[in-house]
Amino acid sequence: MAFSGALTLTDLNDFITPSQACIKPVEQVKPQEVAKEPGGASTEIQIDSSGSYYEVSVNGLPQNKTNGIGAKKLEQAQISLNDCLACSGCITSAESVLITLQSHTEVLNFLESNPDVSSPSHKVPVLSIAPQCLASLAASISSSSSTPITLHRVYCRVQAFCSQVLGFEHIYDTTFARHIALLEHAQEFQERRAGGGKLPMLASACPGWICYAEKAHAEMLPFIARTKSPQQIIGTLVKEWLGEKWGKKPNEIYHVSVMPCYDKKLEASRQDFHNEIYSTRDVDCVITTGELELMMREKGWDLSVPVQDELESLPRGPAGSVFPELMNHPGTSSGSYLQSLIDMHTSTSPDTLDLSVRTVRSSDYEEYTLKKRESGEVVFKGAKCYGFRNLQNVVRKVGREAGKGYDYVEVMACPGGCVNGGVEGEMQNAKWGDKEWTKRVEEAYWHNLPTPPASPNLSAETRMANEADRAKSRRQRLFRTQYKAVESEVIGLAVKW
Amino acid sequence: MNIDLLYKIESVAELQGHEERTWHVSWNPTKPLLASCSADKSVRLYAYSELTESCDPKFSHITSIPTGHSKTVRALAWAPSGKTFATASFDSNIGIWEQEATSDYEGDDVSGGEWECASLLEGHETECKSVAYSSSGTLLASCSRDKTVWVWEVHPDSDFECMGVLMDHTQDVKCVAWHPTEEILASASYDDSIKLYIDDPSDDWFCFTTLTGHTSTVWSICFAPSGNYLVSGSDDCTVRIWKRVSEHQWECVSVLEGHERSVYSVSWGVGKGDVEGGLGWVASTGSDGRINVWELSESSDMSANAPPKNKLIARISSAHGVNDVNTVVWCPRPGYEEFLATGGDDATAKVWKVVKA
Repeated sequence: MAFSGALTLTDLNDFITPSQACIKPVEQVKPQEVAKEPGGASTEIQIDSSGSYYEVSVNGLPQNKTNGIGAKKLEQAQISLNDCLACSGCITSAESVLITLQSHTEVLNFLESNPDVSSPSHKVPVLSIAPQCLASLAASISSSSSTPITLHRVYCRVQAFCSQVLGFEHIYDTTFARHIALLEHAQEFQERRAGGGKLPMLASACPGWICYAEKAHAEMLPFIARTKSPQQIIGTLVKEWLGEKWGKKPNEIYHVSVMPCYDKKLEASRQDFHNEIYSTRDVDCVITTGELELMMREKGWDLSVPVQDELESLPRGPAGSVFPELMNHPGTSSGSYLQSLIDMHTSTSPDTLDLSVRTVRSSDYEEYTLKKRESGEVVFKGAKCYGFRNLQNVVRKVGREAGKGYDYVEVMACPGGCVNGGVEGEMQNAKWGDKEWTKRVEEAYWHNLPTPPASPNLSAETRMANEADRAKSRRQRLFRTQYKAVESEVIGLAVKW
Repeated sequence: MNIDLLYKIESVAELQGHEERTWHVSWNPTKPLLASCSADKSVRLYAYSELTESCDPKFSHITSIPTGHSKTVRALAWAPSGKTFATASFDSNIGIWEQEATSDYEGDDVSGGEWECASLLEGHETECKSVAYSSSGTLLASCSRDKTVWVWEVHPDSDFECMGVLMDHTQDVKCVAWHPTEEILASASYDDSIKLYIDDPSDDWFCFTTLTGHTSTVWSICFAPSGNYLVSGSDDCTVRIWKRVSEHQWECVSVLEGHERSVYSVSWGVGKGDVEGGLGWVASTGSDGRINVWELSESSDMSANAPPKNKLIARISSAHGVNDVNTVVWCPRPGYEEFLATGGDDATAKVWKVVKA
């Protein structure tokens, strides 16, 4: 099977990569069986120059009369995202067999075939983009110009491209959804600390980590936060909340998200995010930053050219978005999950708290401890842990000393976190995992962002808590999810040695 | 059966007790102890009497450890301290074994308390094939059919931290081995290559070179005691000698032929030779049931990639009867340089002595 160039990953360390050949049996709908000639035992498979497979009979007699050359073209195997999620055959980030189902071509095909607004079967096309993608695009165009460009400018240009060229009716960034995710995360942490679940709580936003834990470390699942990732929260907001405002049913909206990571495609196709009633997903299609850039190239759009009404930064006019845009959350470029919990503690504690940070070997593994200044008592201990190797250590540590040690760990599968989310490197033809490039994206991510509104603060927290009491079940339904272990169905004998 | 050479290989002990094939044997580096592991999932420990001028060591079985691994124990390795050993199992786990402290514990007494699993290292997805401690004992490496090599840092209280997951091989990794003095790790694979790794202090472990030349699976690798050479044994029936020609550059300098079938195991000991510029003795064994011993010595040619001199000095055929011999290991303890242990498909472990013919 041919993979796109971007997906042929070699020489990578510390990412989760496919570890063995795909073992998923491929089902085909067979056309009517051709009666075998008596004694005419076998056919053989031939491959033509284009790589297609043909079944031909050994004695040269045609197997299938419908085609003159005496050979029947065999169907190509297709494996869907759901096959991958349900299988434990390989553990992988960027399960490369599945990209065709969620690709930029898919998006273009949809937009082309979407009937006019006047038609009842018209679907509202909506696009949501992650801030890491904007940072990546900013770094990409900044490298060819002397002045660094802000995320806002890039966002304006992306909006212009998606609305004017592609025809998206609504374009959002995912930072408001992240704001909700952080609030919900803090809420869940307090519930757990009050006895409603296990500690340490582990971050849930990285689908590579979730996929790995479900397949290889089921014992970790109770520790993983059940709060949805920002992608899935924007999915819920678009299909349920905005849909309601627009008078549209979930299946009357086509929602595309742009993400820094292939595994977000896996996340979007999880059963939990599929609406049975309307048979639609919260996010219909996920494309990567690289795919967005490819679309721009294909349509001849130059992102380095400013657009009309482009603003350096907020505030945007009254005609702006229904959501606050490009909200900044201090902490990490992987979502600031740990920092939001630290801020929650410092802002709610009656005592003065001191934060100490200890780097364990590299910046991909850091421990954060909050102590009371007076008594030295530890009130919170967290860590950020990025990359496959550190992820192993989290698994070991949590397994060994559950309840002791950390209260929270921000786990991400990629070294460097989301600004290095697997697809970012392809932007500049840089090698995936290129540290220089990751650094540039990291800088672009933080460049010239306004600070307020900051991480979930006390008042927001309290508001949320009050609201929680009134509508707990609704909130949980909207903003939380679940995980289940994938049982191994790999039989030693079936595996290519 | 010996052939007419400078030395001969004499049997010292035949250790029975495993119920299935013996995969691997390992000499304790500090105490008179030999360990063996088997497809029967157990580890057996043998003590031996110290060597005297008139008497070879006598081996006696002291304990069997059921291990609790759910599949074959494929390999084991003693830590340099001699107090801990690690097991690599087909159940995809690495076990770390320590002896329970007993009240009447007397220093270096080989008996003492029960051996118990102090730690289980999970992480490999499929069968673990080999495990090795670095010379300082602070690092442990393991490898698996999942194509990965893992480096663990040994912490106090049997705690381990994963320092690296190396995904450079394209196939099953058969063997890992550490350099005798530096933190250089080598791995051998079904992809026919050998890879060498070092730690970038500001970053991660990485593969700095790939040694190619074998035309089939590389089953076994071992560094020379001097650290300037590496020996490998392969399914292509050859044994190759690789030389360190500059700090990070290794080249194949010799191909030793002398096996008719796959070479499963190689070991490089200091030997008891008396040649000038001696580099020690290389032992090899494999599917043909033969044990070969070569004497290696520095060439008079001083150029960087000059091959060492080699000479087959001893050989025995049918070391384990008609069965494959899975492993051969020189005893690392001073005074025991001529002692070898082997393990075979006949479920036995054997001890041999290489003596002047």
